[in-house]
Amino acid sequence: MKKAGLLLLCGALFFAACQKDPVPSKDATLDGVTVDVSAISTSARKIFVLNEGGMGSNNATLDFLRFEDGKYISGAFKKMNPTVGGGLGDVGNDIAVHGDEVWMVINNSGLVEVISAVDETEIATVTVPTPRNIAFDDKYAYVTSWAGAFVTYGADYSVTDSSNPKGQVYRINLNTKKVEGTVEVGYQPEGIACYDGKLYVANSGGISSQLPPTYSYDNTVSIIDTRSFAVTKTVEVEVNLKNVYSDGQGFIYVTSMGNYYDVHSGLYGFPANAPENVGHVWSELYKHTHVSCSCILGDEVYCIGTQNEFAFGEKHEYTVWSYSAQQGKVIFYPLQLTGVPYGVLALEGDLLLVADAGDYFNPGTLSLYDTSEQDKRWSVTTGVCPGHFAVWK
Amino acid sequence: MILAAVIALFLQAPPDTLAPAAVYAVKERPVVRATEAVQVDSLVSAPIQVAEVLQRFTGVQVKDYGGVGGLKTVNVRSLGSEHVGVFLDGIQIDNAQNMQVDLGRFSVDGLETVSLYSGQKSLRLQTAKEYATGAAVYLRTATPRVNALRLRLRGGSFATINPSVTWDRKLGKVMLRAAAEFLGSNGRYKFPCFDTTLVRENGDIRSLRLETQLFGNTRGGEWRLHLYTYGSERGFPGPVIRRAQGFPFSAERQADQDLFLQGSWNQEWNPRYTTAFRFKYANNYTHYDTHPERNPMALPYNLHYRQSSAYGSLAQSYVILDPWSVDLSTDFQYNALGSDVGQFVRPRRGTLTVALATRLAFETFRVAAHLVYQGAWDRFDGKDAGGWTRENRYRDAWMPSLSAFYAPFPWLEADAFVKRSYRLPSFNDLYYSLMGNSRLEPESAFQTGLNLRLHFGMQAWNWSLHLSPYYNRVSNKIVAIPTSSQFRWTMLNLGLVDIAGADVKGVARFRQGDWSVTLTLRYSFQQALDHSTPGGQTWGNQIPYIPLHSGSADLQADWRGWTLAWNTSFYGERWARSANTADYHLDPWSLSDVSLSYRWRKLSAGVHLKNIFNRSYQVVQGYPMPGINGMLSLEYSL
Repeated sequence: MKKAGLLLLCGALFFAACQKDPVPSKDATLDGVTVDVSAISTSARKIFVLNEGGMGSNNATLDFLRFEDGKYISGAFKKMNPTVGGGLGDVGNDIAVHGDEVWMVINNSGLVEVISAVDETEIATVTVPTPRNIAFDDKYAYVTSWAGAFVTYGADYSVTDSSNPKGQVYRINLNTKKVEGTVEVGYQPEGIACYDGKLYVANSGGISSQLPPTYSYDNTVSIIDTRSFAVTKTVEVEVNLKNVYSDGQGFIYVTSMGNYYDVHSGLYGFPANAPENVGHVWSELYKHTHVSCSCILGDEVYCIGTQNEFAFGEKHEYTVWSYSAQQGKVIFYPLQLTGVPYGVLALEGDLLLVADAGDYFNPGTLSLYDTSEQDKRWSVTTGVCPGHFAVWK
Repeated sequence: MILAAVIALFLQAPPDTLAPAAVYAVKERPVVRATEAVQVDSLVSAPIQVAEVLQRFTGVQVKDYGGVGGLKTVNVRSLGSEHVGVFLDGIQIDNAQNMQVDLGRFSVDGLETVSLYSGQKSLRLQTAKEYATGAAVYLRTATPRVNALRLRLRGGSFATINPSVTWDRKLGKVMLRAAAEFLGSNGRYKFPCFDTTLVRENGDIRSLRLETQLFGNTRGGEWRLHLYTYGSERGFPGPVIRRAQGFPFSAERQADQDLFLQGSWNQEWNPRYTTAFRFKYANNYTHYDTHPERNPMALPYNLHYRQSSAYGSLAQSYVILDPWSVDLSTDFQYNALGSDVGQFVRPRRGTLTVALATRLAFETFRVAAHLVYQGAWDRFDGKDAGGWTRENRYRDAWMPSLSAFYAPFPWLEADAFVKRSYRLPSFNDLYYSLMGNSRLEPESAFQTGLNLRLHFGMQAWNWSLHLSPYYNRVSNKIVAIPTSSQFRWTMLNLGLVDIAGADVKGVARFRQGDWSVTLTLRYSFQQALDHSTPGGQTWGNQIPYIPLHSGSADLQADWRGWTLAWNTSFYGERWARSANTADYHLDPWSLSDVSLSYRWRKLSAGVHLKNIFNRSYQVVQGYPMPGINGMLSLEYSL
C-alpha cells in the first residue's frame, strides 16, 4: 500500500513535469548582473555577446543577456562546457544565430564552434583555417577564411600550393556540420552576406597591404552563386572592405575601413541586380559618414564613426548615424559615446547596444542607449574586446 | 658643461715625473655599490645564459617565454625592461627597434662578473649613457693574463648541447683571447595543455658565438678591442591556445646575424686627469618567417630587418682637490633601421648624451651629483597623412640625480639616491607601420631608494644583511591603444605606475677547516599600482606580471673539491592584466634546483638538476615552462 502510494505520487509528479513545460534549461543556474530589459522588444529570448579577447591570449568569451529575468551572464561558454579544453579559444571574430543554434567563428583557433542557443552546450566544431565571418542560407553556413589564403590545402590540410595568397569561402553543411567545398575569393576576405541565391564577400587585403609584392589593399566584393558555388562577378568598391549587409529588399551595403592615411572609412552600397552601380553614402551637413563599427536592423544600417579618424593620437568624438537605401537619407543621433565603440547592435524601439572595448586589454563595457537621448540607460562589464552580437528570438 | 671641460683641461697639472704618482682617495671610494654582483666563476649552477644569473637577483623579474631559445627580458623594480640598460664592458648593448635586450642571447662564458645597479651607478669614467638609464645590468669580460686554454662541454635535457672553447695567448705586449661557443637544443618538453599533456614543438635553437678580444697597455693606460659575432636560427613555439586539431601552435622561425666591434682606451694623463674613450659599431640582421606552408593558421609574414648603430664616447675625470673630483662624459650614437615591411619609413636617430658628475668622497661620508642632458634627432622617410602629421622630431630631457653614502660604523653602511631618468620611444613605438605614433614623448622614471648594509663577523661566522626600501614612479608610460579603427592601433604617453617596494637580502657564511657553508636569503616586496586612468576599472590594481611577494633561498656547501648548491625560489600570485580578475590570475610557484660539482686539478665536472619537484608553471601566461630537467658539465683548463 505504501509502495503503491509512492508510485502514484511519482506518477503524478511525472505527469506534472510533462505538463508543466519547460524543464528548466541547463543554463538557468547561471547567474549574472541584473539590468533593465523592459524597454527592449520582448520577441528576443537572448542577446549573445561575443568578446574577442586578445590574439594569443586565448580569452575569447561568450556573454548573454537573458530576457526572462533580465540577467547579463558572463563567460557562459566555459561555464556550460567545462570539459572543452581551452574554453572558447583565441579571438572570437563573429557570431550568428541559425534556428536554435549559435555559430561562433573563433579566428585564431581555426574553429567554427556551434552551440545550442538554449543552454550554450557544444553541438559541434568545424575546422576552418583563420576563419573570419559567417552567413547562412537554408542549407549551408558560409565562412570567409584568410588562411586558405596563403596556401591551398588538399585532403587533411596538406599543402598543395603555397604561392597563392587569396582567401576562400568555406561551405559547411548545416545538418552534418562538415565542410563541403571551398571557393577562392579576393585577398583576406572579411564580411559575408547572403541574398537571393548569391553570396557577397568583402575582400580587405589587410595583410597584403603590408607585404610584398603588392603592398596594396583589396577593393573588391566577390559575388558567388550559391548553386554553382563559383564566383560569378567581382565588383570594385573601395579599399580595405569590412562588413557586408543585405537589407532583404535587394540592396547590398558594404563598409570600407579606408587606408588610415588618405582614404576615409565609409559606407557604400549597390543594388543586388546592378552591382556595378556602387554608391557612397555622404552627409554634406555633418561633413562625414565614417564607420568604426556598424550593424543592420531591417533596411537600416547603423554606423558609429568619427570625423578626425586620421588623428590617431587624439581623443575622438564619435557620432552615431544610420542610412537606409529605401528611404535614401542619413540620420544623425544625439548620443554622447564615451570610450572606444567596438561593436553596435540596433534593436527595435530605437535602442542601441554599444560595446566599448576600453583599452582592448582589460574587460570592456556594454551600454544601452536610446537613440533620442544623449546618455546611456545602463552599462555592464563584459569580457575583453566585446564586438559581436547575435539575437535569439 | 663645456666650461667645466675647459676648466678641467686647463687645470691639469704638468706631469710630475720625479715624485711618485699621488694616489687620490676619491678614485678608490665608490659612492654607490652594486645592488647585486656575482663572480661568474663562482656560480655552481653552471648557467649558460646571462638571464639565468639575473633571475636570482633581488628586485628583478626575468620575463621568460620558456625554452633555451625563448625571449628573456629583464625588468628591475617594475620600471619596465625599456628602462634597464645592459652594458658590456661599459658599452651599452642597445636595441633602438624595441628598447629591449634579449638576455637569453648573451652567454656567461667569458664573463668575469655580472652585476646589477638598481638605482644610480656612479663610478669614475662612466659613459654618459651609463648615467642615463633607470637601472643597469653590467657584464664584465675577464681580462686574461697568461697563456691558457679552456674547454667546456655542457649538455642535457631538451637535447641541449653547449661546447665552448676559450684560448688566451700572449702576443708580445698584447694579450689575445679567442672564444667560440655553440648552443643547440630541440626545445622539446612536456607541458600540461588544458586537459591533456603535449610536447612543446618548434622551440629549437642553434646558435654560434665567435669572439676575439685584444688587450694592451699604454704608458699609464690600457686599451681593449672586442669583435663579437653571433648567429642563430630558432623557432618560436607560440602561446598555448585552443587550436583546431592538426594545426600547430606555431611554425614561426627567426634567424639572426649580429656583429659588433667595440673598443676602449683608458688613459691617465697625469694623477689628476684621466680619460676613457670608447666606441662601438653594431649591425644586427633578423629574418622572421611565419612559414604559412607549414601552419595553415599563420599570417604570411616573411620579413627582414637590419639595424645598425655607431657609437663614440669620451669620458674625462679630474681630481680638483682630493677627495673632490669632477667627471664629464659625452656620448654620440647613430641608429638606423631598415626593413621590407609595408610602408616602412626607415627611421634614423642621432642621440647626444652629455653627463656632468661631481663626487666628494671622504672615508665615511661620500656624496655625488649627476646631471645628464640627452637629445635625440629622429629622421624618417614618408609623408603626412590627412590630419595626422608625422613629424621629424627632436626630443630632449634633463636627468638629474643625487647619491650619498655614509658609513658611521665599520659594520654599517648606508646609501641613498634620488633620480629622474627618461627613456626614448623606440623605433617600433614611433614608426611601426599602422601603429607607430611619431609624436611620442620620452617615458619618464622617477626613482628614490635607500640601502642599508650591515656586516658582522665572529670567528668562523660571517653575517650580512642588506635592506633596500624604494619608491619609483613611471609616468608618460608608452602604451598601445586602439584608434577609431580596430585594425589601426597607436602608441600614446598614457600610463602612470607607482611602485613601492623593499628588497631584503641576508647572507650567513660559516668557514672552518675545509668546510665552507653559505646561506643566502632574499625577499622582495613590490607593490606596483596602475594609476593611469582615475576612475577606470584597473585604477589601483597591481600591474601585470609583478608579484607582490617573491623570494629565494640559496644554500651552498664546499668541502675540498666538492660543492653542493641548493636553490629554492618563490614567486607569489600575479596577474597577466591590470584587471586583477580570476581569468588573468597566475598561480604562485616555487622552484627548486640542485647542483653538485667536483674540481680536481685542471678538471671539473658537475651535475645540475632544475625544477626537481617537476612543478608546472608559467612566467608569461600562455607560455608553459619546462618540468624537471638536468644538465652535465665538464671543464678542462690548461
